[in-house]
Amino acid sequence: MIRIQPEDFDLAEEYQQLRQGGAGVGAIVTFTGLVRDFNNIAERQGASVETLFLEHYPGMTERLLEDIIREARDRWQLSGVTVIHRIGELKPGDQIVFVGTAAAHRAEAFAAAEFLMDYLKTRAAFWKRVRRGGRNEWLDMKDSDRMAASRWQREGKQPGRDGGGQQ
Amino acid sequence: MIRVLFFGRLGEYAENGRMELTSPPAPGTAAALRDHLGAVDAGLGKALAEPQVMVAVNQEVVDWDSPIHDGDEVAFLPPVTGG
Repeated sequence: MIRIQPEDFDLAEEYQQLRQGGAGVGAIVTFTGLVRDFNNIAERQGASVETLFLEHYPGMTERLLEDIIREARDRWQLSGVTVIHRIGELKPGDQIVFVGTAAAHRAEAFAAAEFLMDYLKTRAAFWKRVRRGGRNEWLDMKDSDRMAASRWQREGKQPGRDGGGQQ
Repeated sequence: MIRVLFFGRLGEYAENGRMELTSPPAPGTAAALRDHLGAVDAGLGKALAEPQVMVAVNQEVVDWDSPIHDGDEVAFLPPVTGG
């Protein structure tokens, strides 16, 4: 399930939704991203972020997220996937993104959630603008995010495929 | 008519991040449109020339030599920063 919305979301509700995947669900991983008041360590010296504005490309962003989810489902056996991304104006401490995965075993759920976040950061059509010190500035993609996403291509590894029987 | 959309920092070069052109600039490729826009506004031209800027036609990312037809929606996309 994909939702792109200005409204906040409720972790407990999303978790309950993922639990509905049937008796085969043995593991649920949820990730929630929050708006920080700085963008990397080097910028800690600068002015604090007052607001964060999220722009997307209606239609195309949804399709790109569908592609990313399809790819995760090809790699891992998942009984449920939820991706929520907020848009519009947010403040430090606000929830901005949610990724939830349900699977038979934890290795698949963990790996898929991490894959979804890494690809969402580098491939989904969202753009962030921050306001700090009374000035607006668009953010650049971080090298660390690029690296995080590229490891999935390099390894082609599928953690969880032969995961153990325990949760 | 073609509809041109600009996202992220590119949006600052067009009112509301969009503009309309009566027809695709010759020879009718995405690169030709980019060059045309750069000739009209040097600042935009410089921003569009950044190597990481991508172009989408009708919401599909395409190569710069892809054709643009009347009625298309063309979007210029800087590197994404979601999540």
